[in-house]
Amino acid sequence: MSLNIDQLAEQIVTLDQTKQMALLEKVAELNFQHGLVDLSQMYRKRLEKEGRLTQTASEIMAQLGQIREETAAHDPVL
Amino acid sequence: MIPSSEWIVLDTNIWIFGLRNQSERPACAQVLQRLPRFSIKVPRQILLELGANLSHDEMDALFRLLNHYPDRVGISWERANAQLIQKYKELGCKAGDAAVAAHVETLNISVLVSENRDFLTEISGLPFQVLNAQEVLQKINS
Repeated sequence: MSLNIDQLAEQIVTLDQTKQMALLEKVAELNFQHGLVDLSQMYRKRLEKEGRLTQTASEIMAQLGQIREETAAHDPVL
Repeated sequence: MIPSSEWIVLDTNIWIFGLRNQSERPACAQVLQRLPRFSIKVPRQILLELGANLSHDEMDALFRLLNHYPDRVGISWERANAQLIQKYKELGCKAGDAAVAAHVETLNISVLVSENRDFLTEISGLPFQVLNAQEVLQKINS
């Protein structure tokens, strides 16, 4: 990064409040999206190891349906 | 248009297809990427199902992500209303589907996003809309 944190902060405070808020919101959104990509990669890596990454959407739907009913069967309120 | 203040529920299939980055369902990953623009409730049945699909570390990572937006993501471990579950069972839903529908109604949710709408299509007068991922994307882009 060509700017250090102090220089970056100096630039940000020159923005009006609305732009500062929008910038913070955007940074939070990008952080969230990067975290989501990391989680997705972690999950896909495990599925690949288990030989399940190539499952089709219909196979996954069937599996999810089975998990739904098993989960409900074990939840005492149901 | 779905206002960001309107609470929605993402069915387990949206989370799982999205996290898998399933090529046949690209809209699910796009919905997750846009999650900060929604107000999301994650009810008990969906949480239990996510827990059955994801490892402990993956669940931790998911909760850490959701904690980025404490005002816009609501985790609800409360059990669904038994009478509502019964109502949906009598309308033809299986127990798990009835639990999801009951949660959605109890939490006063306006939209359930699911790639499997079949379990609710036969029911008329639902107090919430059921949209698939593609339809939600169209609504937020409209």
